[in-house]
Amino acid sequence: MEEIREQVQEVFREVFEDSTLLLNAQMTAEDVEGWDSLAHINLIIAIEKRLKVKFATAEISRLKEDGANVGSMLELVARKRKLSQ
Amino acid sequence: MAALYEDADLSSGQGRPARPISGAAGTAGNGSDVDLFLNTDGEWSGAAALMAAVERCNAAGEDDRRAAFRALIERMKEARDAGQFEKLAGALRLALTPMLDYTSVQSLNRFYKLLPSALRGRSKLKLAVLGGFTTHQLRELIELYLFAAGVSAEIYESNFGVFRQEILDPDSGLYEFDPNIVFLATHWRNLGHLPTLSDSPQKVNDQLEEEYGDWAQLWQTLHDRLGSQILQNNFDTPAWRALDNHEMRHSGALARYIAEINRLLMARAPSYATIHDVEALAANNGRRAWGDERFFLHAKMPCAPEYLVEYAHSVSSVLAAQLGLSRKCLVLDLDNTLWGGVIGDDGIGGIRIGQGDAEGEAYLSFQRYVKDLKMRGVILAVCSKNNEQTAREVFEKHPEMILRPDDISCFVANWTDKASNLRSIAQQLNIGLDSLVFVDDNPSERSIIRQLVPEVAVPEVSADPIDFIGALERHRYFQIATLGAEDFKRTEYYRANARRAEIQASAGGLDAFLQSLDMTAVIGPIQATTLERSTQLINKSNQFNLTTRRRNVAEVMALTQSQDWITATVSLTDRFGDNGLISVVLGCVRQDVLEIDTWLMSCRVFKRGVERFLLNHLCELARARGLACIRGEYIPTARNDLVRNHYAELCFRNVEAKPDGHTIWELPLVDYKPLSNFIKEVRADGRNS
Repeated sequence: MEEIREQVQEVFREVFEDSTLLLNAQMTAEDVEGWDSLAHINLIIAIEKRLKVKFATAEISRLKEDGANVGSMLELVARKRKLSQ
Repeated sequence: MAALYEDADLSSGQGRPARPISGAAGTAGNGSDVDLFLNTDGEWSGAAALMAAVERCNAAGEDDRRAAFRALIERMKEARDAGQFEKLAGALRLALTPMLDYTSVQSLNRFYKLLPSALRGRSKLKLAVLGGFTTHQLRELIELYLFAAGVSAEIYESNFGVFRQEILDPDSGLYEFDPNIVFLATHWRNLGHLPTLSDSPQKVNDQLEEEYGDWAQLWQTLHDRLGSQILQNNFDTPAWRALDNHEMRHSGALARYIAEINRLLMARAPSYATIHDVEALAANNGRRAWGDERFFLHAKMPCAPEYLVEYAHSVSSVLAAQLGLSRKCLVLDLDNTLWGGVIGDDGIGGIRIGQGDAEGEAYLSFQRYVKDLKMRGVILAVCSKNNEQTAREVFEKHPEMILRPDDISCFVANWTDKASNLRSIAQQLNIGLDSLVFVDDNPSERSIIRQLVPEVAVPEVSADPIDFIGALERHRYFQIATLGAEDFKRTEYYRANARRAEIQASAGGLDAFLQSLDMTAVIGPIQATTLERSTQLINKSNQFNLTTRRRNVAEVMALTQSQDWITATVSLTDRFGDNGLISVVLGCVRQDVLEIDTWLMSCRVFKRGVERFLLNHLCELARARGLACIRGEYIPTARNDLVRNHYAELCFRNVEAKPDGHTIWELPLVDYKPLSNFIKEVRADGRNS
């Protein structure tokens, strides 16, 4: 899980151009400057590419809805990676 | 010919240290924190590291690409923090290849947005993007790749899905913006008459006609109200096929319908509508990957975001081509580029080229592709470290070679460094260094050229010759603005020019030479048959071009229909062949003066007296309208120094000279006597007039 957190953090740093950004499970879109719906698409495709996972249509929007946070995103990525192994 | 080359292009970088972007030193030398970055000579100390980072990024392989890109971003941040925006702009232009991934391009776009508008490009373009899908990301990337091509674009973007209303409502923001070019960014979901599988062939046919008619009507409205050029997407086909193997045979099937409408667009679109082949982009990238539905469902994006990079690059290349910014000449290395092996070591029997061997056939494929480029008008040149005789012999004698001596307009094989040779090739062909593309299998040669002569495009290629085609294709260096029959004849002209030069060397004086050419010309206003070629020249000519004013087909068409404008074109034939339409003049009548707005000529007929012949014609036209005077102007650019004295040589007198070199000239018609020349006027049907 920590390995996934680090890789996703790397993607966040690139997409939001902030080399000091630290990811934690409680973070939401509100906490990251510039995380609007356009940036969300950028984030999704960068994570798909770097982490070699694919989100379903419904999951893409769910990741930014109320109640969703970085923790739920990391868990989803981890689950998908386990499935594909 | 020595007097004809362009000083501005050829002198750059000559005899200077390896510093690719030679911007003004100390652009932002205000504030003490900035001064820390400056050397004693006022040059920002980070410049060399920034350019080295760009080069490492461009030359990076699959495994080190991300690390090289991250390092580049750090160097760009330093440039940003030091206020070195000119250096930053130079680095961005070189780094913006169409091979970048979407996330990387987004990072570069953030730097682009920081640039002051003066650094965004010399050519200006007002572009309206009317979207049938979300165009936000595409629009940003189009602007970015236009910047990479040297175009500063001001863009108007309509809201998603309201392109029809924008066009039909005369009070919409589109008309207030008044663009030069309108891009109709539509996709297959915007088709208005999609059939169902049970529709009869006759019904589908009627729907197709209606479909085409609807789009043509939108273009017509735009054209009537704006007089602007239109760029219209064709329609990309989705990957699914309800009829599977028989999809294309059933008239009511979706893919069949889209194929039919695309065919109608290609066959019938008027010259003021350029069709952008987005369907080819979808096919080349794979329809399943391209048409990733998730992004349409979420964000109404036209394709998977990753492909927006190539999509935008393709659109930008067509727009830049319409501004005359495509490259003109492909320069080729020889050993391990056109054939396998080293001719100097392996000999004519030892190099690998030809049938029966996979590697030899790969080089054949590349040569066949290059030959096609030549046939559509790209000039070919050779730049190789070899003995000239040995290298030439392969083109003359090797039975399997596809490229022959006649195909190469400029052949340079010697032991001089390639940077000097590329400058000499540009000089001999009478074109700018920024018109050259150089293909070489040797990574160090590529790297040296990119750093010493950054104006020359040098695509990164693998050692496998079959990849050379893909690299050239993806960069779209030679994009065509409008396709004319002339494009397929161009190399003939350059070759005929070489024969004319031989005669000139043997003949007595220039007059005797010109007389021996037996030149005849057809002269007349721009007509439907000459509209496209005239517009092409207006947008391409750089050297013999007094004012360098660009106009699209629609704008030129409007002038030909105005009472206040006089247009003239010249087509020249000589005993070596037909040169085609080679000169265009646009003049505006204001009171009793004919003001020459545009005067240009193709560089292949310099020094033939065409300008004297043409002036006689203009004077007759002006006199017939009772005008008193012809007024001309010269607006200097980096490339038109050749015609600085054009009007002086035609006996105009200088009435105004501005500090920037812009000059105004007048010729009172009362003094005018026809100028002598060696061109005989014939009518379009070939008879003497």
